[in-house]
Amino acid sequence: MADSALDVSQLSRRFDQRQILDHLDLCVAPGELVAIVGESGSGKSTLLNLIAGLDTPDAGKILISGQDLAVLDDDARTRLRRARLGFVFQSFHILPHLRVGQNIELPLVLLGVAAGERQQRVAELLAAVGLADRAASLPRELSGGELQRVAVARALVHRPVLVLADEPTGNLDAETAAMVMRLLVTQIRERGAAGVLVTHSAAAAALADRALLLSQGRLHPQNLAVG
Amino acid sequence: MLWIWWQLIIRYAWTYRLRSAVQVLAITVGVALGYAVSLINTAALAEFNAALREINGEADAVIEGSRAGFDEQLYARVASDPGVQLASPVLATDVLVAGSADEYPPRLTVLGIDVLRAAPLSPTLMGDASLSGEREASRFAIFGDGILLSPSALERFKLQVGDSLTVQAGSGTVELKVRGTLPGVRPGSLLGVMDLGFAQWRLGALGRLTRIDLRLADGVSLETLRARLALPPGVNLAGPDATGARLANLSRAYRVNLNVLALVALFTGGFLVFSLQAQATLARRAQFAWLRAAGLERGQLKRLLIAEALAIGAVGSLCGLFAGAAIAQAALTALGGDLGGGYFNVTRPALGFPLLTAAGFAVLGVLAAVAGSYLPAHEAAHTPPAAALHAGGEEDVLRPLGRIWPGLVLLGVAAVLLSLPPVSGVPVPAYLAIAAILIGAIALQPRIARLLSRPLADWLQHARVGTRAPTLLLAANRMVQAPGAAAIAMAGIVASFGLMVAMGTMVSSFRGTLDGWLVQVLPADLYARVGLSMTDAWLSPADMQRIRTHPGVLRVEFSRATPLQLAADRAAVVVVARTIDATDPGAALPLVGRPLAWQPDQPPPVWVSEAMVDLYGARVGGILHLPLAGGLHPFIVLGVWRDYARQFGSVAMRAEDYQRITGDSTRTDAAIWLRPGVRAADVSRDLLQTLDSREVIELRAPAEIRALSLRIFDRSFAVTYVLEAAAILIGMIGVAATFSSQAMARSREFGMLRHIGVTRGQILRVLALEGALATLNAIVVGLLAGLVIALVLIRVVNPQSFHWSMQLIVPLELIAGLIAALLVCATGTAAIAGRRATGSSPLRAVHEDW
Amino acid sequence: MLSRRRLLLTLAALAAPASRAAISYPQVLPRALVFPQDFGAHADFRTEWWYLTGWLGDRQRPLGFQLTFFRSRTDVDPANPSAFAARQLVIAHAAIADPARGSLLLDERIARTGFGLAEAAGGDTDVRLSGWRLFRDAETDTYHAQIAAREFTLGFKAVAGAPPWLQGEQGLSRKGPDPLQASYYYSRPQLKVQAQLSRGGKVEDLAGIAWLDHEWSSAALAPDAVGWDWVGMNLDDGSALAAFQIRSKQAGQPPVQTYAALRGASGSVQLVAPVDVRFTPLRYWNSSRYRSAWPVAQRIRIGTRVFETRPLMDDQELDSRLTTGAVYWEGASQLLEAGRPVGRGYLEMTGYVAPLTL
Repeated sequence: MADSALDVSQLSRRFDQRQILDHLDLCVAPGELVAIVGESGSGKSTLLNLIAGLDTPDAGKILISGQDLAVLDDDARTRLRRARLGFVFQSFHILPHLRVGQNIELPLVLLGVAAGERQQRVAELLAAVGLADRAASLPRELSGGELQRVAVARALVHRPVLVLADEPTGNLDAETAAMVMRLLVTQIRERGAAGVLVTHSAAAAALADRALLLSQGRLHPQNLAVG
Repeated sequence: MLWIWWQLIIRYAWTYRLRSAVQVLAITVGVALGYAVSLINTAALAEFNAALREINGEADAVIEGSRAGFDEQLYARVASDPGVQLASPVLATDVLVAGSADEYPPRLTVLGIDVLRAAPLSPTLMGDASLSGEREASRFAIFGDGILLSPSALERFKLQVGDSLTVQAGSGTVELKVRGTLPGVRPGSLLGVMDLGFAQWRLGALGRLTRIDLRLADGVSLETLRARLALPPGVNLAGPDATGARLANLSRAYRVNLNVLALVALFTGGFLVFSLQAQATLARRAQFAWLRAAGLERGQLKRLLIAEALAIGAVGSLCGLFAGAAIAQAALTALGGDLGGGYFNVTRPALGFPLLTAAGFAVLGVLAAVAGSYLPAHEAAHTPPAAALHAGGEEDVLRPLGRIWPGLVLLGVAAVLLSLPPVSGVPVPAYLAIAAILIGAIALQPRIARLLSRPLADWLQHARVGTRAPTLLLAANRMVQAPGAAAIAMAGIVASFGLMVAMGTMVSSFRGTLDGWLVQVLPADLYARVGLSMTDAWLSPADMQRIRTHPGVLRVEFSRATPLQLAADRAAVVVVARTIDATDPGAALPLVGRPLAWQPDQPPPVWVSEAMVDLYGARVGGILHLPLAGGLHPFIVLGVWRDYARQFGSVAMRAEDYQRITGDSTRTDAAIWLRPGVRAADVSRDLLQTLDSREVIELRAPAEIRALSLRIFDRSFAVTYVLEAAAILIGMIGVAATFSSQAMARSREFGMLRHIGVTRGQILRVLALEGALATLNAIVVGLLAGLVIALVLIRVVNPQSFHWSMQLIVPLELIAGLIAALLVCATGTAAIAGRRATGSSPLRAVHEDW
Repeated sequence: MLSRRRLLLTLAALAAPASRAAISYPQVLPRALVFPQDFGAHADFRTEWWYLTGWLGDRQRPLGFQLTFFRSRTDVDPANPSAFAARQLVIAHAAIADPARGSLLLDERIARTGFGLAEAAGGDTDVRLSGWRLFRDAETDTYHAQIAAREFTLGFKAVAGAPPWLQGEQGLSRKGPDPLQASYYYSRPQLKVQAQLSRGGKVEDLAGIAWLDHEWSSAALAPDAVGWDWVGMNLDDGSALAAFQIRSKQAGQPPVQTYAALRGASGSVQLVAPVDVRFTPLRYWNSSRYRSAWPVAQRIRIGTRVFETRPLMDDQELDSRLTTGAVYWEGASQLLEAGRPVGRGYLEMTGYVAPLTL
C-alpha cells in the first residue's frame, strides 16, 4: 500500500502553560485536499509549522510520504521540505527584489534543476496562474491577488507531494480571495499533490475534499454545506 | 547556489545600493589608509636601504664606530688581515650646507673614500666630471681637493659643476669646489663624495675613519674575523644589513604606530559593516525564514550571508588598494617619505607596489567585512523560521547582544594583555588590549544603554514632562525596550569616538608634557647651537671666547653632544657633556624620581634618559660602561631624566669628566644668560656678525625653540589627525546608514503610529530624540573606553615604543567639541533618515525599503 | 666586478684643482748612480718602474711572464697632512703569456701608499701592493717576488749574475732632443729564474731567464712623442740587447729618439750611435678590442747587425687604463738573426691606441 502523503499521529505541542495540540491525528492521502478550520489561536499555524518541520513536537509522530520527521536533523528536514513540500502564506513572502519569474524559479534552483527545465516549468506555472505576461515584473508592481498567485505557482513549481497553505487568502478581498482559492485548489488537484489548507473561510473549506475543525487541540470532522 | 547568491545577494546589493556603497566604502577607506601608510613606510624604508646600499655598496661586512669614528690605524690592521680580501676605508660625515635658507636645513652626507678601493664595492659612488668645463690634464685630479655631488644635491643647493659649496666642518666653514656629479646615485639622495685624504683634512677629521667596508676572503665568517680583529670598544663588525636593521629599529615604533592608526580605520569599518549587515539581515529575516521553509539549509544560508560579506570585502578591498596607492602617491609628493616624522633623510622615495602587501591588506579588508557580518549571519541562520515568518520579535534576535559576559571577558583579556611585555620593541599586546577594550565596551553598550535609559523612561512615565513630551517618552522607552538596535547603530561610533578620544588625549598629554619639559630645559635667555645634532661641527675656542666676553652676556654654559654607538643594530645614543652640579643635578636636568648622591670614591657620575633604562638596562646605582676615546670607561648612574629630544637614549655627564676622559674640549651648544635689560635679539645680531661659525650657527630664544619644537611636533602628528578624522568620518557615515535603515525597517511601526494619530513631525522628533539618546549613550561608552585606551597609550604603548613617560592631560575642549559635533550629526542624521522613512503613505508600509 | 666605464669616468673626474699646489719634481741631471740606494724608490720623481720580464719553461712549451711595479708621485697638495692623502700611487701589472691560451692571463693592482699596505721603499728594491711584493735580497743579489693574481699565483727568485748595466750615459737615458727629457735607467739582464706558477689548481715548478729594467724620471717624453717600441733581449750566448725608439706624433717623421746597446757575456758594453738604430715593422696584428694595429714583428737594425723579433703569440695586448691609463703591447718575443733564433726577451710597444702620457 502506498504511504499517505501525510500521517500525523498523537501529536502534542505546548506553549508556555497552554496545550495547543493534544494527541492530534491526521492522515492525508496522496492527492487529497484537507481543509482545517478553527478559531484564532486554536493552533492551526502551529500544526502547519510542525508538519513543515519548522517546529518540533513535544510528542507524537509526523510522517511525510512515510518519512518520519523525528529521525531527521535540521538539514535533512530542510532537504525534505525542499523536495516534497510547497508553501503558501497569508503574507505572500514574495522576495521583493527578485522578479516574478525568479521568485517562482527559486525552489527549482534549490533543488538543482537544470536551467532549461526551470524556464519551461516556470513558464508553465505562470500560464497556469494567469500571469504569463508578468514574468519580468517586480513584486512591487503586482496587486495582492497577483502576488498570492505567484506564491501558488511557487508552491507547486517543484511538484511537491504536499502543499501547506496558511490562510492563503487572509490578506485579500472577498472576490480576489475566492478566485485565488479556486486557483490554488485546482492547481493542487491538477498536479496530483495532497494539500493541507488552513483557513477560517467556510467557502474556502468547502472546496476541499474534507474539512476538519481544530478545537481543544484535536481535529474534528466537519460537515460543510456546499455553497 | 551561485544562482541564489547572484539573485539574492547581488540583486539585493543593487536594490539597496546606497547601503551597499556605504559598506563597501567603509572597507575601502580602511584598506586604503592601511595600504597607503604601509606603502609609504615601505617606500621610505626601501629608499633608505637603497641609499644605504649606495653608500655601503656591495660589502660583505662593515666595521663601524659611532659618528665620532675611530683611529685610522685600525684600517692598517684590518686591511692586512688574511681574512680580508678588500678593505675600503670611509669617513662618513653629515655636514650642514651654509647659506641654505630653509628652516630645516638639509644635511649633506659627505663620504670620504679611497676611490681605488671603493670602486669594486660601491660602483654607484664613482663620479663623472665630464660636465666640468676645464678638463685638467692631470690623471691624479681624482685624488685632489673638491667634491662630487649627487644630482639631487646639486639641485637642492642650486649648484653647478665648477661652483663652490660652503659647508660647516669642525669649528669653521670650508669651501669645496664642486668637481663633478655622481650619476649613479639615486634621485633624492643628498650625497657628496670626496677623496678620503682631503675629506680628513678639510672636514677636520685627521686620523679618523667612521667605517671600513670589507669584502671577505672565501670561507671567512664574521665570527672568526670578529674574534681575530679584537676591535676596540664602540667599534663593531657587522654584516651588511646591520645599518638597515638599525634604521628599521629606529623607526619601527613610529611606523607600527602609524600602521595601527591606519588599521583603526579598517577596524571601525568592520564595525560599520557589522552595523549595516545586522540591520540588513534583520530587514530580510522574513525572506530568510521563507527560504529556510522552502528548503535552504542553515549552513547554506550562513554561507550565503558570509559570501555577501566576502563580496563587500572584496569590492571594498579592491577599491581600497587603488585608493591607497593614490593616497600614498599624493602623500609622498606632499609630505615626504616619513610623513613629517623626521626619521628619514630622504627626499623623494619611489613608490613600489608589492603584491604581497596588497594581498595582505585585501585579506584584512575581506576579514574585517566577514568579521563584521559573521554575527548577523550566524544569528540569521539560527533564527527559527517559524517565528520569523510572522512579523515582530526583531529585538529577540538581538537579545544575545544584551549578554553581559562577553564584554566582561574581553575587558579581562585586555587586563591580562596589558601585563605582557612588548614583542621585539613593539607593544603588540597593548594594541591587542586596546582592541579588546573597544570590542568589550561595544559589547557592554546595550546593557549600559538600558541602565542609563530605564531611570529616564521611568521618570518620564510619572513626571509631567512625560505627558507634555510624549515623543521623549516614546524615544526613552525604545532605548529601554530595544537597546540592541541602538547598540548596532552605534558600534562604529563607539569605536571611532573612543579611539579619537584616546588619540586626542595621548597627543594632548604628549604635547603638554613636552611643552612643560621645554620650559624646564630652556632656562637661559639665548641658545646657540652649531650644526644639528647629527652633524660633525663644533664651536671654535675663539667663538666660545667671543660669546663669553660679549658685554651683554652674564653667564654661558657650554655643552658638547656626541653620538655614541652602543649596539650595532640600534640607533646611536647621545652623550651630553655639560655643566652639572653633582650635588644638585635637578638644577640642570628634568629628573624623573629622586637621584642618588655622588660619593667621590665612585666612578664619575652620569644621569641617563628613560630610553637608556628601557633599551640598555641602565639602572640608578648601577655602573654603565661607555666607549669613549677608544676605551671602555665605567660611570655610575645617579639618576634618570626625561629627554624628549633624543628618543634612542642619552647620557648626561659633567663636562669636566667628559673632557678629562676624551681630551675633547670642543663644545657644540651654548646656553647664554643675559645681563638685565639686554635684549636677546641684539646679542644674537652681534654674535651673528662676529662668530666664525656665523654661517651655520643657530641662535634662538627659548620661546622660538619652543615654538619650533611644537611645530615639529604638530607636523609629525598631522598624519595621525588625518587618520583619526577618517575613522570618525566612517563612524558618522555608519550612523547615518544604520539609522536610515532602522527607520525604514520600522516604517510599519510608524504607519501604525500615524494611524493612531501621531503626527509626522512627532515621529521625526521621536527619531531625532532616539538618535540623540543613542548617541549620548555611545558617547558615554566611547568616552570611558577612550580614556582607558588613552591611559594604555600613555602608560604602556608610549613607554614601550618611544621610551618616554608623560602626564595625562585630557583635552577637554577637543572632547567637548567632538561630543557636540557627534550629537548634532547623529540627531540630524536620524531625523533625515526618518523623513525618508515616513515620507511615504502609511499604507505603503508593506514595502520595507530604504 | 667593477664597472670599467664608471671608474674611467671617475679617473677623469675632478678636473681642475681649486688651488693648484706648486709641485716640483726633480730634474734628471747627470750623476753617478749609487747602489744599493738606487735599487730603491726615488719618491720625489714623478714616475718610476721596475719591469721584470722573462721566459719560463722549455723550448717545447715556453711561457712568457711579466711583472711590473709602477710608482707615481701625484700632484696632490703636499700640505695635506692626512695619511690617506694620495701623494704616491703604486701600480702593479702581472701577466702570463701562454700560447696554448692565446691571450694574456693578467691582473693589475693600484693603491695609494700608506699604512704598509702599498709602499715603494727607498734604499733597495722593495715594492709591495695589496699582498704583491718584489724585493731584492742584497746578500745574494737575488730578486724575490710573490704575486697572488686573480687567475694565477706566481712566485719566483731571479738571480743576477752581473752588476747593474747602466743604460745610456752612465745610467742617464735620453728620451728626447732636450737633455732634460731623460730618465735614470739601468737593467739587470740574464737573470736566472726559479719560479713556481699555479694556474687552475695546477702547480708547476719552472726555470727560465728574465730581464729587469728600473727607470725613473719626471718629464721623460718630448711633447711630440707618441710612444715607444722597446726590446730587452737575453741572447743565448750570454750577451744582452737593449734598444728602443721613441716615435713621433707625426706619421712618417723620423723617431724622436733611438737607442741601442749590447752587452757582451763578459760585461763589455757596446753603445750604438742613434742614427744607426732602425726599427721597421714586419707584420701587423690587428686587435679587435681597440681597433689598433700592432707591429708585433719588427726588424731592428743596430749598426751592422740586423735582428728580427717574432712574438710568442700575437695577442699580448694589455689594457691598463684603469691603473696606468694606457693600452700597451707587452709581448714575449724571440730574437732572430739571419733567420736563426738567437735570444729571448720582450718587445714593448706603447702609443698605438692613444698617445702615451706619463
